[in-house]
Amino acid sequence: MNTINSIIIDGMSFALPLFIMAIGGIYSERSGITNLALEGLQGMGAFTGALAAYTLARSIGPNSQAPYYVAILCAMLGGAVYSMLHALLCIRFKANQVISGVVVNILAMALTTFLTKTINRNVFGAASDKFDLGVSGRLTIPVLCRIPVLGAFFTKVYPFEFIIVIIAVIAWYFLYRTPFGLRLRACGDNPHAVDAAGGNVAGTRFIAVVVSGALSGLAGICFAYSISAKFSGDIYMGYGYLAIAGYIFGNWNLLPSLGACLIFGMARSAGYQIVQLLGMPSAYSDLVMILPYVLTLFLLIFLSRNTHAPRALGEVYDKSKR
Amino acid sequence: MADDQYIVEMNHITKRFPGIVANDDVTVKIRKGEIYALLGENGAGKSTLMSMLFGMYEPDEGQIIVRGKEEKITSPSYAAGLNIGMVHQHFKLVSNYTIAENIILGNEPVRKAFGLFPYVDIKSANDNIRKLSEQYGLEVNPTDVIEDVNVSTRQRVEILKMLYRQAEILIFDEPTAVLTPQEIDSLLKIIKNLRDGGKTIILITHKLEEIKRVADRCAILRRGKLIGVYDVPSMDTKEMANLMVGREVELTLQRKPAHFGDVVLDVENLHVENADHFEVVKGVSFQIHAGEIFAIAGVSGNGQTEIADAIAGLLRTTQGSIRILGREISSFTIRERTKTGISYIPEDRQSVGLILDFNLAEDLALRNYYESPFAKKSVLQKKTFEDYGNRLIGKYDIRSASGNDTIVRSMSGGNQQKAIVGREIEQDAPLTIFVQPTRGLDIGAIENIHRQILEERDKGKAVLLISLELDEVMQLADTIGVIYNGELRKTAPAADFTTSEVGEYMMGVKRS
Amino acid sequence: MSYRKKYLKIAVLSVLVSLLAGAVVILILGKNPLSAYYNLLQGCGLAPKAKYAGGKSMFTDLSSYIDYLTPMLFAALSYAVAMRAGLFNIGISGQMLVAGFISSVTIGYSTLSAPVAKPLVLLIGIVSGMAVGALIGFFKYRFNINEVVSSIMLNYIAEYVISFFIHVKYVDPVSRQSRNISDAARLTLHQIVIGGYKYDIPIGFILAVLAVFVLKFVFDRTVLGYELRAVGLNPTAARYAGIHVGRNLVLSMTISGALAGLAGVTYYLGYFASIQPRVLVSTGYDAIAVGLLGNNDPVGILAASFLIEIIGKGSTYMSSQAGLQSEIASVITGLILLASACNAFFMNRLDRRQAAKEELHRKKEEGGIQKGERV
Repeated sequence: MNTINSIIIDGMSFALPLFIMAIGGIYSERSGITNLALEGLQGMGAFTGALAAYTLARSIGPNSQAPYYVAILCAMLGGAVYSMLHALLCIRFKANQVISGVVVNILAMALTTFLTKTINRNVFGAASDKFDLGVSGRLTIPVLCRIPVLGAFFTKVYPFEFIIVIIAVIAWYFLYRTPFGLRLRACGDNPHAVDAAGGNVAGTRFIAVVVSGALSGLAGICFAYSISAKFSGDIYMGYGYLAIAGYIFGNWNLLPSLGACLIFGMARSAGYQIVQLLGMPSAYSDLVMILPYVLTLFLLIFLSRNTHAPRALGEVYDKSKR
Repeated sequence: MADDQYIVEMNHITKRFPGIVANDDVTVKIRKGEIYALLGENGAGKSTLMSMLFGMYEPDEGQIIVRGKEEKITSPSYAAGLNIGMVHQHFKLVSNYTIAENIILGNEPVRKAFGLFPYVDIKSANDNIRKLSEQYGLEVNPTDVIEDVNVSTRQRVEILKMLYRQAEILIFDEPTAVLTPQEIDSLLKIIKNLRDGGKTIILITHKLEEIKRVADRCAILRRGKLIGVYDVPSMDTKEMANLMVGREVELTLQRKPAHFGDVVLDVENLHVENADHFEVVKGVSFQIHAGEIFAIAGVSGNGQTEIADAIAGLLRTTQGSIRILGREISSFTIRERTKTGISYIPEDRQSVGLILDFNLAEDLALRNYYESPFAKKSVLQKKTFEDYGNRLIGKYDIRSASGNDTIVRSMSGGNQQKAIVGREIEQDAPLTIFVQPTRGLDIGAIENIHRQILEERDKGKAVLLISLELDEVMQLADTIGVIYNGELRKTAPAADFTTSEVGEYMMGVKRS
Repeated sequence: MSYRKKYLKIAVLSVLVSLLAGAVVILILGKNPLSAYYNLLQGCGLAPKAKYAGGKSMFTDLSSYIDYLTPMLFAALSYAVAMRAGLFNIGISGQMLVAGFISSVTIGYSTLSAPVAKPLVLLIGIVSGMAVGALIGFFKYRFNINEVVSSIMLNYIAEYVISFFIHVKYVDPVSRQSRNISDAARLTLHQIVIGGYKYDIPIGFILAVLAVFVLKFVFDRTVLGYELRAVGLNPTAARYAGIHVGRNLVLSMTISGALAGLAGVTYYLGYFASIQPRVLVSTGYDAIAVGLLGNNDPVGILAASFLIEIIGKGSTYMSSQAGLQSEIASVITGLILLASACNAFFMNRLDRRQAAKEELHRKKEEGGIQKGERV
C-alpha cells in the first residue's frame, strides 16, 4: 500500500514537469516548427530560475517562500527569452530546424555551466559549479488525501504540481478553443491557408516557440527543485527528449501525451521502489535510471508507425513559393 | 487619374523576382460587375499580377487604385478589408480541419464563456455557412473534414471563404484546371450568377474556350507584358491564341494512324492501398499494345496516380498481376522493373522525378549511374557523365545557365521536365508512363512534349498516359480508360468517346 | 564565385564573429582576449610557452594536441557520413563510450602483446560502434523512429549501464574511474622519450587522416557516395531511381557508428587509458560543430577540426594562465555552431545578391528587360 502511494507521489512529481514540457513541444510542433531544443530550454530555464532564487535567498534568508515563486517566474522568462534563439534561427534564418534544435541545446549546456562557474566565482566568491536550492516543500490536502489509493494524488504534492495543472488547463483552452489556437494548428498543416486568410504565420510560430520555451523553463526549475535539489550541469538528463517521445505517442495532442508522461513517471518511481524494496546496493540505481529511456525506445518501436506528425512540420515557410 | 467606372485600376505595375521580371509596366482597369479575364501562358505573369491585388506581394513600381482610392495592399487581410477575395490555383485549405473551420479561419466568430473567456463559436459558424451555401447554391456540409471531400467541393469551400468575408471583387486563379467538363459547366454558371448578383469577377486562365463562354473583356499577357485588352465577343479563339503565344499556333495535332503490335503491359485485377491502408485502386484491368497510347482519364484523387506508382513499383500491390511482355513483375524491386522495361515520368517532377540539389549531369544519370559505362567497379566515371549529359542537353534542348554543372533547382519548370522526359525516353523501354506530363508548362513546351509522346508511339512503344487535362487525353489517346473511385468505369477506343461522355464517366454518373 | 569559395568565405566569417563574441565576454570578465587566445595556441604547442617543465617542449604539447585531435577527426567524419544520408547522429558520444568500454574490458585488461592487442582494440572498437550505429539506422528504417531521439536514448542507456558495470566490476578505488588499461593495448604511445623530450604518439592519427581521404573519394567518386547523397537530399526521388533507401540509411549509420567506435577507442584507449563513469564526453557534440563548419566535406572537416580542437585543447592552459573558466571554450564552440547553422541562409543571401547584380548587368547590356520563366 505504502509502496503504491510512494510510486504515485514520486511518479506524479516527475510526470507533470515532463507533461508541461511536452505541451510546449506540442505548441511548437503543431505550429510547424520542429523542436528538439526542449532539453536546452528546460536547462536554461532552470538556470535563470535557480540563479534568481539563489540570489534572492542570499539576501532575504532561506526561510521565505518568495524565492521559490520568483524562481518559477524567472525560469519561465529565461526559457522564453532563450527560445527566441531557436525561433529566430528557424523562422528568420530559415535554418534546418533539427540542426537548430541541437545547436540550441549544445549552446545552452555550454552557456549555463560556464555562467554558473563564472558567476559563483566572480559574484558570490565561491568555487562551485552549482546553485544549491534544496528540495521544495510539499503539501498534503487534508480530506482528499484520505481517499484510498487516489488519496496519493493529493499527498505530499509539490506546489509546482498545482501550477503545472493550472497552466496545462490554460494551454489546452488556448490551443483548442480560441481563434489563436485555431490559427496555430492551421500553421502546422498548411501555412499558406493561414497566410491567405490574413493570419501571420511567422508571428504565430514565433509565439508558439516562445510558449514552448516558457513551459520548458517551468519544467526545468521543477526538476531543479525536486530531483536535483540544485542547478548544475546534471540538469541535462535528457528529459527534454523524453517529453518529445511523450507527445509523439500522444500524436501531438495534449491528453494522450499526458498518458505517456504518466507512464514514464510511474515506471521511473516504480523502479526506485523496487531497488529499495529488494535492498540492492546503490550501484543498481544506475540500472533503474535507464528505465524511462528503455521504455521510450520500446514505446516508439510499437507506436510510432501509427503517428501522424503535423503535415507542414519542419518545412521552411516561404511566402513566395506556391 | 481615377475613374468612376472602374472598381480596380492597376497602373504601370512592375514586379521583379530574382533574375526575372514577372510584370513589366502592366496596366489593367476592371469595371464593376464585369467578368474580366486575364489570359496568358504559364509564366506570363497573370498570377503574380493578381497576387499583388490580393496583397501576397507588393509591386516594385506602379499604383493600385480600388474604388477610386489609391491603396497600398500590404497583406491578404488588407485586401479582404477592401472586399477582395481570391481562389488560388493550389487550394489553401487546412486538410485536417472541417469545412467550417477552414472558412472561418482568420475571421472567427467569437463568443465569451461566462462573459469572460473568448472561444470560437463553431456552432453558429456551421449554421451561417449552411445558410450561405444555400443562398449561393454552393452545396457543402460544414462539418465534413477537408481531406475527406473531393476537389470540386474543396473549390466550393474556397468560393464560400470569399463570400463569407463579403468579398465584392472575386479573383479566380485557373479554377477549371482540375474539374470535369460537367463541373466546369456548373462552375461557370456559378461565376455568371455571382456577376449577376453584382460581384466583380477576375478570371485567370489559359483556356480560351472558357473565356469565350463567360468573360466580358479580356487582357492578354505575354512574358510579363500586357499585349492588349479586348472585348471578348469581338474576338475568336484562334486570334486570342496567337496573341497569347505571340506566333501562329496549331490548335490541332498532326497524328499518324496507329499500328498496334503485341501486348506490352498487361494489368489484371490490380488492387492498391495507399500509405494509410486505404484501398484506392479496386480491381483494375487493362492492356496496352506496342504502338498504342492508353490514357487514363479521371478527376484527381481517383486512384490513377496510384496505378502508375504500382506499375513502377513505388507502391505495393495488394492483389492482382502486372505483366511486361509476358513477364510477371509484381514482386520485382523498382530497379528490376526499370530494367525489365519501364520508363516513368512521375506526376511530381520536383520531389519525385529529380533531385533538385544535384547538378544536371547527375540528375540525367539518375537511372544509369550504377552501371557501365557510368560506373566501373563502383567508381563513377565523370567523363561518361559529362558526355552523356551533353548529348541529352543537345538532343532534348534542355536549357540552363551552365550546362552539366547547373544545379537543377535553379532551372525553369519546363526545362526540368525536358530533363526528365529526355532521361526516361533514352532508357528505350518498351513501356513509358507519363503522368501529368504538361502540368504547369507553357504552350511551346506542351507542344514539344506532345510531339515526343506521339513519337514514342510511332516508334512502337507502349505509352500509358495519365492526365487530368481532358483535352490532352482526347488529343493524344488511342484508347481511353475512365477511372472513378479506383475502378475503370469504361475502357474503349478514343474514337468511341465524346468529351462530355468521358466527363460523365469521370464523375461516376454513368457506368458501362 | 564558386560554391566552395563562397562557403569558405562564410565559414571564415562565422568563426571570426564567434571569436569576436567570445572576446567580448572575456573583456567583460576583465581579461585580455588577445592573450587568452594566444594561450589557446600555446596550450596546443602551436606557439611557444614562456617556460617548460623538464622533458617537455613545444613539440610535446603539439603531440599531445594531435593525440587529442585524433578522436575528434573520427567523430566528425562519423557525423558527416550520417549527414550525407540526411541522418543526424547525435549519439556519437554514446557510441564512443560503448566501443571504448567493450575494447577496454576485452583487450585493455588482457595480457596480449602489443602487436596483437592494438589491432584487436581497433577492430573491436569498429565492430561495437558499428553495432550501435546500425541499431539506430534500423530503428529509423524499420519503425521510422527519429534518429535524434533514439540515439539520445541509447546514449543514456549506455552511460548508465556502463557506469553500473564499472562500479560493480572495473572500478579503481582511488580514481573512482575504471582501472587503467595495459600499455600494450593503448593506441597512443604515451610519454615516450625521443631525444630527451617526451611525446605522445597517436597511432590512430595516421588512420584518421587516411579515413579523411578515403571518405573524400567515397563521397565524390563512388556509387555508394552518389546513393548516400541522393538519399540524403531527397529520399523519395532516390527511391524512384531504384535506390534502396532503407539499406542506405542503415549503411550510413553503420559506417558512422564504426567511425564513432574508432573515435571511442582512440579516446578511451588512446588519449586516456580509463573511463569516467556517468560521463559522456563532449567530443560527440563538438563533432557536430566541426561537421557543420566543415560543410560535411572530409577535407573541410580536417581543417575545421584543427581549429575547433585548438579551442578545446588549449582551454585548459588558457584557464590556468588567464584565470578564465575553461568552459568558455565550449561557449565559443557553441557560438561557432550557431553561426554555422545559419550558413545556408547567408549562402542564399550571397546567391541572391549575385543574381541581382547579374540582372542589373544584363539589363544594362541589353538596354531592356528580358524575362525568364519562373519555376
